Amino acid sequence: MISKPTAMLLTGNHAVSYGAMLARPKVIPIYPITPQTPIAEKLTELQLSGALEAETMTPESEHSAMAACITASLAGVRVFTATASQGLMLMHEMLHYASGARAPIVMANVNRTIGSPWGFWPDQTDSLAQRDTGWIHYYTESAQESLDTVLQAYRTAEQVSLPAMVIHEAFYVSHSLEVVEVPSHAMVDSYLPPFTPEIMLDPSINRSWGNVVNQEMFWRHRKYLGEAMEQTLEVAAKADAQWKELTGRGYELVEAYRCADAEVIIVTMGSMAGTTREAVDMMRARGLAAGLLKVRLFRPFPVQKLQSLLKGVPRVMIMDRNFSPGLGGVLHQEVKAALYGMKKAPPLYGYLVGVGGLNVSPALIEKLVRRTLREKAEINSIWVGE
Amino acid sequence: MLQIRMHGRGGQGAQMAAQILATAFFREGKYVQAFATYGGARRGTAVSSFLRIADRPIRLRCDIEDPDAILCFDASLLEDKLLKGATEKTLILVNSTMPPEAFKEFDSLKIFTVDGKSIAGRNGLGRIVNSALLGAFAGLLGAPAFQNLQSVVEEMSPVKVKENVSSCLEGYELARTIKGVA
Repeated sequence: MISKPTAMLLTGNHAVSYGAMLARPKVIPIYPITPQTPIAEKLTELQLSGALEAETMTPESEHSAMAACITASLAGVRVFTATASQGLMLMHEMLHYASGARAPIVMANVNRTIGSPWGFWPDQTDSLAQRDTGWIHYYTESAQESLDTVLQAYRTAEQVSLPAMVIHEAFYVSHSLEVVEVPSHAMVDSYLPPFTPEIMLDPSINRSWGNVVNQEMFWRHRKYLGEAMEQTLEVAAKADAQWKELTGRGYELVEAYRCADAEVIIVTMGSMAGTTREAVDMMRARGLAAGLLKVRLFRPFPVQKLQSLLKGVPRVMIMDRNFSPGLGGVLHQEVKAALYGMKKAPPLYGYLVGVGGLNVSPALIEKLVRRTLREKAEINSIWVGE
Repeated sequence: MLQIRMHGRGGQGAQMAAQILATAFFREGKYVQAFATYGGARRGTAVSSFLRIADRPIRLRCDIEDPDAILCFDASLLEDKLLKGATEKTLILVNSTMPPEAFKEFDSLKIFTVDGKSIAGRNGLGRIVNSALLGAFAGLLGAPAFQNLQSVVEEMSPVKVKENVSSCLEGYELARTIKGVA
């Protein structure tokens, strides 16, 4: 029992475990995979110590882990799980099933390259490939933000009956040991009420989920799912504001950092946002007016927010640590689509930077900003590396 | 901000060493960030760990390209790639039985050596060199204070707590006698 907020040295993964513990989940089906495993290890450690009262299960695969999450969630209990890369790929079918079943599962995903070839490096393609599964997607940049976001994700997911993914990158966040303020149980209990769904499955009430439906029923079901996603924008913003009120820490759904009067705004997600903050301060100190726009909520995509923040900006560059072969950087494409047809839309520069876990330093970011100021915008994403 | 890189092979304890050092600095009121990259949790493969120490929250999420100090667990890893970004100001400590003169191919760099295996052996740790190297490294850096490092080594040593502490102290005291150390 954590009785008062405590500063601890935690890795990003262990911070996620503490966040999950504070949410008091009842069932945790989880399958180990590098670089997620420390999340599972810490959860079982917390369970063994008595700090976490939950049933942990290790099914034979991630596909089964997600199947167990769905059934437990539909039975009316709070559920947590975590995975990465190949594990997320194996879950893919069940991810669709979870959102269709409107099960508010919260899952952490640690971004790692997908084979082949084999690798362990930070790359967001694994979670971005789950874009259309009907999950809420949060991208975080620090251990603290990952802990806080697990709790915000529960608060949001359970109000809109959708599953939510909290995503951070391998090593730069997952294995980064840093100072984290762990909130008290009392604080979290006041923020996150017990999960008491109106509709749940129980053999005694003869309800089931998963029957065959006709076209109209399917159509209606998808439409409702879309409405829940739309509602999520407001619910998630409120969940963040309430968390800020309670802890002093808020992140917004799209954060604008030093964007006033910027000549170039850098749009990115996850760990690169942290490095970009530092780069922006360095550039501003030298008289180069750059700003950062961090996309924290990727699904639902905050289109209107992005439109209002990027309208009339002289130049916008997007940094993608992911690659959709045949199209380019996923965030680049999404921003392009979000701004299409807008009056005073800025020229966009998409950079495939950090793909496969390549290092992205403040010096590289400054180089790209200077290139953006110099060159004409191109429709395609541009490879950066070597 | 102080930026440190550690290079070793899986199983040598480079990742644990960075975590111990980070914890000791944290106890001294610093903000720290320690992380490692490795190609699968396997013994013998190259492991790099990174440590940043600062007076304000650390926002950088990238490798350390311009280290203030490097700790190398294995002289066989000492090559240009490992030393990338090092300048004549970078403090480099190599685990080796050889004197620093043996590394004169890198003569523009400030290389110190410590025989971690001998220290570990004398203190009943066999080939477990990380506590000895950590002690020596802290001695060279002049921080953290030894008693802070000692208390963290005591808490984080899975076994042979006394031996790890004495090995750490021997490394620390040896480093403090090296000429030119702050």
